[in-house]
Amino acid sequence: MRSPSPAFSSALLLGASVLVCPLSAQDSASVTRDPSPVSYRNDILPVITRAGCNLGACHGAQTGKGELTLSLRGEDPVKDHKALVEKFVNLGAPEKSYLLRKAILDVRHDGGKRFGKESESYDLLLRWIADGAPLDRPGEPSLVSLEATPQEQVLFAPEDSLRISVTAHYSDGSIRDVNRWAIYEPTALNVEIDPDGGVKSLRPGETTVNVRYLGLQAPVNLAFVPERPDFVWSGPPVRNFIDEALQAKWRTLRMNPSEPCDDATYVRRIHLDLMGLVPTEVEARAFVADTDPDKRAKLVDALLARHEFADFWALKWADLLRVEEKVLDTKGVAAFHGWIRRSIAENKPIDRFAREVVSSLGSTYEVAPANYYRALRAPDQRAEAIAQIFLGVRLNCAKCHNHPSERWTMDDYYEFSAVFDGIDYDIKENKRFDKSDKNNFVGEQVVMFADKLELKDPRTGQPPKARLLGESAELARDPKRLEELGRWMTSPEHPLFARVQINRIWFHLMGRGLVDPVDDFRATNPPSNPALLEALTDDFVKNGFDLRHAVRTICASHAYQLGTEPNATNFDDEINFARALPRRLGAEQLLDSVHLALLGPEGRPSFEGHKEPMRAAQLPGVQAVYRSNKPTDGDRFVRLFGKPPRLTNSDTERTSDTSLAQVFELTSGSTLNGLLMREGNALDRLLESKRPDREIVESLYWTLLTRAPSGEEWSATEDYLSSAADRRAALEDIAWALLNAKEFLLRR
Amino acid sequence: MKTPSCPGFDNLRLSRRQLIKAGGMGALGLTLPKILAGSEYPGGRPPARAKSVIFLFQWGGPSHLDMFDLKPDAPSEYRSPHKPIRTSNPDLLTSEHLPRVAKIMDRFTVIRSVTHNMKNHNSAGYYALSGHAPPTDDQRLRDSIDLRPAYGSVVDRFAPNPLSGLPTFVSFPHVVADGSRTPGQAASFLGKRHDPLFVPRNPNDPNFTLPELSLPNNLSIDRLHARRGLQELIDRQARLLDHSAEARGLDDYYKNAIAMLNSERVREAFDLSAEPAKVRDAYGRTTYGQSCLLARRLVEHGVKFATCYFSSGIGGQSITDGGWDTHGFNDTRMYPIVEQYHFPITETTLPTLIYDLENRGLLDETLVVWMGEFGRTPKINKNASRDHWPNCYSVLLAGGGVKRGYIHGASDETASNPIEKPVKLEDLSATIYYLLGIDPTSEYHDSQGRPLMISSGEPILDVVA
Repeated sequence: MRSPSPAFSSALLLGASVLVCPLSAQDSASVTRDPSPVSYRNDILPVITRAGCNLGACHGAQTGKGELTLSLRGEDPVKDHKALVEKFVNLGAPEKSYLLRKAILDVRHDGGKRFGKESESYDLLLRWIADGAPLDRPGEPSLVSLEATPQEQVLFAPEDSLRISVTAHYSDGSIRDVNRWAIYEPTALNVEIDPDGGVKSLRPGETTVNVRYLGLQAPVNLAFVPERPDFVWSGPPVRNFIDEALQAKWRTLRMNPSEPCDDATYVRRIHLDLMGLVPTEVEARAFVADTDPDKRAKLVDALLARHEFADFWALKWADLLRVEEKVLDTKGVAAFHGWIRRSIAENKPIDRFAREVVSSLGSTYEVAPANYYRALRAPDQRAEAIAQIFLGVRLNCAKCHNHPSERWTMDDYYEFSAVFDGIDYDIKENKRFDKSDKNNFVGEQVVMFADKLELKDPRTGQPPKARLLGESAELARDPKRLEELGRWMTSPEHPLFARVQINRIWFHLMGRGLVDPVDDFRATNPPSNPALLEALTDDFVKNGFDLRHAVRTICASHAYQLGTEPNATNFDDEINFARALPRRLGAEQLLDSVHLALLGPEGRPSFEGHKEPMRAAQLPGVQAVYRSNKPTDGDRFVRLFGKPPRLTNSDTERTSDTSLAQVFELTSGSTLNGLLMREGNALDRLLESKRPDREIVESLYWTLLTRAPSGEEWSATEDYLSSAADRRAALEDIAWALLNAKEFLLRR
Repeated sequence: MKTPSCPGFDNLRLSRRQLIKAGGMGALGLTLPKILAGSEYPGGRPPARAKSVIFLFQWGGPSHLDMFDLKPDAPSEYRSPHKPIRTSNPDLLTSEHLPRVAKIMDRFTVIRSVTHNMKNHNSAGYYALSGHAPPTDDQRLRDSIDLRPAYGSVVDRFAPNPLSGLPTFVSFPHVVADGSRTPGQAASFLGKRHDPLFVPRNPNDPNFTLPELSLPNNLSIDRLHARRGLQELIDRQARLLDHSAEARGLDDYYKNAIAMLNSERVREAFDLSAEPAKVRDAYGRTTYGQSCLLARRLVEHGVKFATCYFSSGIGGQSITDGGWDTHGFNDTRMYPIVEQYHFPITETTLPTLIYDLENRGLLDETLVVWMGEFGRTPKINKNASRDHWPNCYSVLLAGGGVKRGYIHGASDETASNPIEKPVKLEDLSATIYYLLGIDPTSEYHDSQGRPLMISSGEPILDVVA
């Protein structure tokens, strides 16, 4: 078995500099390089890059600007050299070179004046041209690494500024201060950075400054902490290692967590997070009344065993694995979704689950996970999808260019894609419903490994060699290599797989990833709490990639059980989990909860194409929602509230943002009003119970908001009901108000 | 294997703000340079010449050779079988079947050199509706959040109407589709909050109303207010509104929805029955005619971007409905069809809209865009009809700060290729944003967080009056 190479692992030191230069003792003596002669690669390229000439809006555009085309941000120095010396350099009269005259605006230049005649930039260019504008000099040292210091620093007010120092290391062991030539890009806009690397905080908070110099980059993690002279650590309880890691950082940042949430909030939260449903009145009141000090943990265990947990967590994977009918057909969707759901129900370890997804071949009707490759029809699609879903790597940019601030290159892109070249389909039949859509398949297919190559590297026109992402060895052309891919990818030593998976589970429970977005792992997007991600990853691996164990562990933490109300020390922080952040319920959570609350445990919405009503979370595919000619209220509702069509490889395809159309649906639309008016619903049952109005109102509050009414609410709603001519209508109004309260619509 | 180009590639340019930061000019003591060729507006937005846009999307692809780029001297297999007639623009001829249209050509800029390479309706349609090239030329290009937003959604993102007023972006009366929904009609990665208020109703229906603005039968406005009162009471309890931006954002939508349900002005904007019968007749008692009237009412009331789709499908085989896709399939023929259906509708509606805007003093501040996703083949096919032709076709602009009676660019002798000032759809998008006072190099982030420019073209300054 191939295990991930150590070089690859060390490249993922999250929250630390990616590039550490191994200088030997004699090299590290601060040798400053002789300033002359001027080197094209080491002096001129930085001048041109720093002046912005090779940016995408200027000469770095695909078709250049004016007469000059440069590679984007200096990605191709040889080509750029040719472009410059061909037309813009005058060796006979260096100071007449257009390169110089344009830059100092001695002649018309749409890009304006880039620097003055007295500048160092001008001087370097002039000397280089006078010297013949050579591309390379014999024995010229090359840039090998970049170091930015401090790698991380916490600053306490009134201290609010620091200087980043940037050092380039060269192949001959020399080093050079390149502060002036580096480019500084902060991830959060709470700082201002001057061109020499001076950072000044505009307001407290954390940021990562991505320092770039030529093709290299180094992140600098900074936190600016307000003074808070009166800060007193509140000493919250530590329930497990999660709290230890979070609290260490909170203390550093002089931040106290919010108060823990009460039992009523907890029971609602855990039901929504684990099953996608609000608790019933009976469940909620029983939990609140229970005096067992261990009741929260016991409730988690009880919910983990329920079939709704498998439904709801299968939905999350079905969103990511392209479980949709146009390519897989209805039968394939049923098979694949059923397999995912069974995997969750039987608690299949996530590593095994992932191995089966990436290495299954065979009939898509019989070998359910083979549907994944049925959905992904080209080698580069498969590579992009698997890198993003399982390894949190967004490879897409590297399809067309070597991004200066990304680790992954075009070589990585095409060589990893080549791993999947040769996957082919034996199409048994295709009764597609759309004759014009080449991506519509209805009928059985056998996914197999054929002896043919379709992928070509566009730069060479040749098939790239197959290579695992970040590894150096070439893979043999052999169907077994998909199994090798699975073993390599899910190995406990792989620096990304386990981290990405546990981070995604964390995201689903806490509302935000430690690395966020959850499918964008890179040195320049570090976790908000690296120590916690490490600890969670270790625990996840040690416990066999066990989803339920992970959920149990996170839910057991004090941090999971915090309330939403901020305090004076954590109100402006949204990345350290010192309070719960309210978020809108997802489409299925919302529709299923409304049905549960208004129609009871048997309440189910209907979906076009499905004979029996079912919970939205149980919908295997998306056809009812996205292709139906006669959409039901349920179809329209889940689409409107952000159920994804499952056409991309990203967790971000599911949306939870609000729109005016959603609020119209809840206010004047047919779904909610229809359920409120439906005969025999929970409102009818309450009115028929002949209980006093006070109890009716109380019961409705517990059913919809999982709490008793406040005194003010009790009197207002009781009064509204008892004074109404039409009691049914009045109760509908109260129920509408409760269902549209932020307490209902938000997970809190 | 085919390797389609990366759709965002040419957009991987940086915004002016980043240029300045990256260029570090501050330290060199330089003033803000005119970095972007064609930018006449250093430091931010171009001046707004148009307050609003009426975007008339001619789905299916009208024939440029038979409407606005006639070639009467071309060989018979190319030239229009219709007789050319003079128009109020001395340099422009049109079809004998469009005499009213001929009279208003002095109000228009006609761009005769629009060119792209997408031959399928969905890919070309997306290109025309968003100003961005799709990743592939695919008959069933699928809508996904990887693709770009509609023009109106971008306008809503960068120059929205204030809350509780008219929506920024309204589209009607169809969703356009060719087998699958055509991308480019909604907000995509900008988020649902920037989706259009979509009105999938027929304005020519005597009972035309906006379902969103109508309450269900059992629900009076008073009852809705009572519900809202109870909701506000409950919302006060948990104090979520005090400390959650999410909760406040959600509540803003309730305020807005209820304000709209309550607003006379909003109801009025959509109330076509307020128009005199004479005006309604003048626009034509067709879905498209009444939709154009609705568009005028909407911009008059403050909507910024009104997209009116000619048809839901590509059509071309019927004289009672459908779009401009006249291949002559199934034994139909293009000319009888356009003569009986598409031309008469255009003849009735387009001049009426222009005159009406002009008479109300709205034309100067309203940009009218009339365009399809492509033109049609210069050479008449074996069905005496024309197929798809993206290489060269004509787009019409009027009002909103563009020149009157102007022709931009030119095509060759068979209208097959531009021979002068070729215009990309990217340039057209930059022009629309520019006229609205939105910097075309403004930046948004896609679903992967990549910074992208809203347009990768250059505004066509030649068409600006």
